Amino acid sequence: MHEVALAQAIWRQVLSEMERQEGRRLVAIDLVVGAWSGADPESLEFALGLLIAESGWPQARARIRREPLALVCRACGREFEAEDLNLVCPGCGGLDVDPVRGQQLLLESLEVE
Amino acid sequence: MAKSIRLAKRVVAESDRLAKDLSDRFNRAGVFVANLMSSPGAGKTTLLEETARRLKGELRMAAIEGDLATDRDARRIEAAGIPCRQINTGGGCHLSARQILDAIEGFDLAALDVLFIENVGNLVCPAEFDLGEHRRVVVSSTPEGDDKPVKYPIAFHHADCVVLNKLDLLAATNFSVEAFRRFVRGLKPRIPILGLSCRTGEGMEAWLDWVRDERRAVAEKSAKSAR
Repeated sequence: MHEVALAQAIWRQVLSEMERQEGRRLVAIDLVVGAWSGADPESLEFALGLLIAESGWPQARARIRREPLALVCRACGREFEAEDLNLVCPGCGGLDVDPVRGQQLLLESLEVE
Repeated sequence: MAKSIRLAKRVVAESDRLAKDLSDRFNRAGVFVANLMSSPGAGKTTLLEETARRLKGELRMAAIEGDLATDRDARRIEAAGIPCRQINTGGGCHLSARQILDAIEGFDLAALDVLFIENVGNLVCPAEFDLGEHRRVVVSSTPEGDDKPVKYPIAFHHADCVVLNKLDLLAATNFSVEAFRRFVRGLKPRIPILGLSCRTGEGMEAWLDWVRDERRAVAEKSAKSAR
């Protein structure tokens, strides 16, 4: 629900990097969106698309790599990937889990030419 | 020629930095800060009104109210006797650290014992954003159903205290307190679960004790680090 604000935050970082890349053209923005990052990949892509379209590089693309949520069970120690945010440990049925991956929303890299 | 520039920047890095700044300020001032979250209508504002009425002679409190629109909640809290700032987020689905930094400008933090932040009614997004608070309180209520913890696990996973409100309506619903407790404890085995009714006052004393204890812990820690 807050992807527009996140897209704007990403865009500010992109613009500040592009200032350093004087004369180059933005081709792609590479992002990692974790399943537990609080961002919906489609909405984020849509919001970034609007910002890109208004920019000096309207052909650029936002490329999103989705990172699944990985959890470790505190009761039995099992590490597992949680589909659809189902936090139940497949080993012991417990819910007392800690996230190990899938929490981040990362601006990984820019492709320029 | 195409070239890849590696950035590896956390998008919420700025938000995290602001939250850390807030946390430092709260600790220096020795004010206990609780961030209240729930779905709309669970009774966050009513809980704060009752808390204000019952503790205002004992603790110096203030509140920040987050809503999409209107200052209705802030006026309710002020009518209950404590200062309050309203933040209107427009379409925003959660309070941000930036908004809290602006809102606390109006408060003398060192002259406060407790600051309540009532987040936007939403059990999804507020859980993702640190506001520099000491404790997160999730308020649930009996008409919402006893399976909220498993349907919105992230909010409960990040919680430090769960309040179960509207116990007075229990008989009118098919809510099972036992099932609710099992769901919450499944996610957080040691978390306090405080059942209460703001309307009848049942269970309020345990909640007030929780506030008192948490506030004392923050004040003692702050006094120790000031020495």
